Amino acid sequence: MARPPLPAHLIKHLGLKVGLLVGATVFIAVAFLVYTLFARGLFEPTRTITLIADEVDNIAIGMPLNFSGFPIGEVSRVTLTEQGQGRVEIKVPTKHLRWLRGTSIFTLQKSLVGGAKIRVYSTDLKAPPLAPDATPQLHTGDIGEELPALVARAKALLDNLERLTQEGSALDQSLGHSNTVLGRMTGEYGVLEGMLGSADKAKKVIAALDQSNKLLASLNGLSLKMDRRVFGQDGVMDQTDKAMQQANAALLQTRDSLKKADAILADAKEASTDLVLLRSEIDASVNKVNGLIDEINRKWPFAREVEMKLP
Amino acid sequence: MSWLTDLLTRSGDALIARFAAWARTLRFGTVTLAGILSPGLYNSATRTVVQKQIYFTAWQILFGFNLFAAVFSLILIRIATTAAQNYGLGDLALELILRILVIELLPLMTALFIALRSGAAINAEVALMNITNEIEALHSVGIDPLRLEFLPRVIGGVVSVLALTALTSLTALLIAYLELYGPQAHGFADFTWVIGQVYSPLLLFGLWLKCLLFGLAVTVIPIAAGLDSPHKLFFAPIAVLSGMVRLFFALMLIEVGSLAITYL
Repeated sequence: MARPPLPAHLIKHLGLKVGLLVGATVFIAVAFLVYTLFARGLFEPTRTITLIADEVDNIAIGMPLNFSGFPIGEVSRVTLTEQGQGRVEIKVPTKHLRWLRGTSIFTLQKSLVGGAKIRVYSTDLKAPPLAPDATPQLHTGDIGEELPALVARAKALLDNLERLTQEGSALDQSLGHSNTVLGRMTGEYGVLEGMLGSADKAKKVIAALDQSNKLLASLNGLSLKMDRRVFGQDGVMDQTDKAMQQANAALLQTRDSLKKADAILADAKEASTDLVLLRSEIDASVNKVNGLIDEINRKWPFAREVEMKLP
Repeated sequence: MSWLTDLLTRSGDALIARFAAWARTLRFGTVTLAGILSPGLYNSATRTVVQKQIYFTAWQILFGFNLFAAVFSLILIRIATTAAQNYGLGDLALELILRILVIELLPLMTALFIALRSGAAINAEVALMNITNEIEALHSVGIDPLRLEFLPRVIGGVVSVLALTALTSLTALLIAYLELYGPQAHGFADFTWVIGQVYSPLLLFGLWLKCLLFGLAVTVIPIAAGLDSPHKLFFAPIAVLSGMVRLFFALMLIEVGSLAITYL
């Protein structure tokens, strides 16, 4: 008969060993239960944030919200809004709320293998925290669907790039020309030589510049001299000033003279009225003299030329 | 037509006999459960026998079995991790390990090991006791064999399955953490999150219930099969055989049932 090989009293510390085993089992059971409850977030306060998505394909209850690869929350509810959009509620423990900012971007990423993932990107951790009533957009862009269009555009872009960079292309020539220009710029006359095309022309420009410099210097001397002559002591201006004063005085004298002339003219006017009388008297006198002469001539036998002058 | 009638009668009888055996097993299981739950059954003598049973069923194999389970877990975890990473599903490796190894394989393995080691022994022992009329002898001197012989074995079996499952699962969890994250604390948040995802309180309750049923099966079915054997010595191997087959079938039924409840 298969009997236990040892009587109970011969097993050392039987009660202790069995007690230890049973105690360890109960401890593991209770501790693991508490641990799973802790893992499910039962002992920490959570806040529910709401995301709005165009479609909630691939979103399942219990899906994690990942931040930098760490799960910081999980989807607790998926419903439909009045506007026909998906409404995803995510429970986030309050200790993880600091990773969610007003500027955070939420994306739903579907990979070719494996389940979809909700990721949150918070580039600016100093931005204001996510408002309690905020409903950020959950971007559900499917990379797989956009891939062909993306490839087509990339291909066109690459073609353009190839055309730009091939031998003899506009860009190639431009680069060649700029290379030449830059080569000239490293010459003796620098940028000037690069701009003008050769060292000789640059030399001429510099010579011209030198001459204009000299010209400017002599002009400077000239202007100094002119300054002295025109505006200096006894210069042209001083003399002009004096001449003006003299002219002024002469004008004053002229005015006086004119007044006197006026007076004379007034006198002369009066005199001219007397003159008419006088003339008639003279005329009468002359007529009498004429008669006298005629009488003399008749009496005088010598035909002599007699001339009499009137005043 | 008489051969057909004979055939039908024979197969019908065999079927009825099989069902009757299951029915007796279930009846014995119910009686045992009632016995376990009635506190009047326990006294210092029963307690010592229970302790002995736990000692022989669990403590004696504790180290060896745990080591075996650790090596088994390590290999499976390594395979799961490598395969998952090769397919780019490294994130799901831990969940895979938890769901397949810790929740399904380790309890089943523990139950099978105890069934092979202790269940077979109990089956043979009870069959021999039955054949040699020892049970009737106990009855006749006023000792309840259920209380002194059978209940301690059932309790020992249940406690052993629960204890060994708990310890091997804990070892497997530790190995999984070390295998996935190395001896560093940075993976703890991730690990905890996956644990929280996989183990709901309901699943944990179902897991313990499954282990409890495993423990009951590995002792109740062999005892019932032993008691079922006719009082002829050459029936002893047949009793062990049918008991072990029934036990294997019951274990698989519990496992498949738990899987169906969990995932369907």
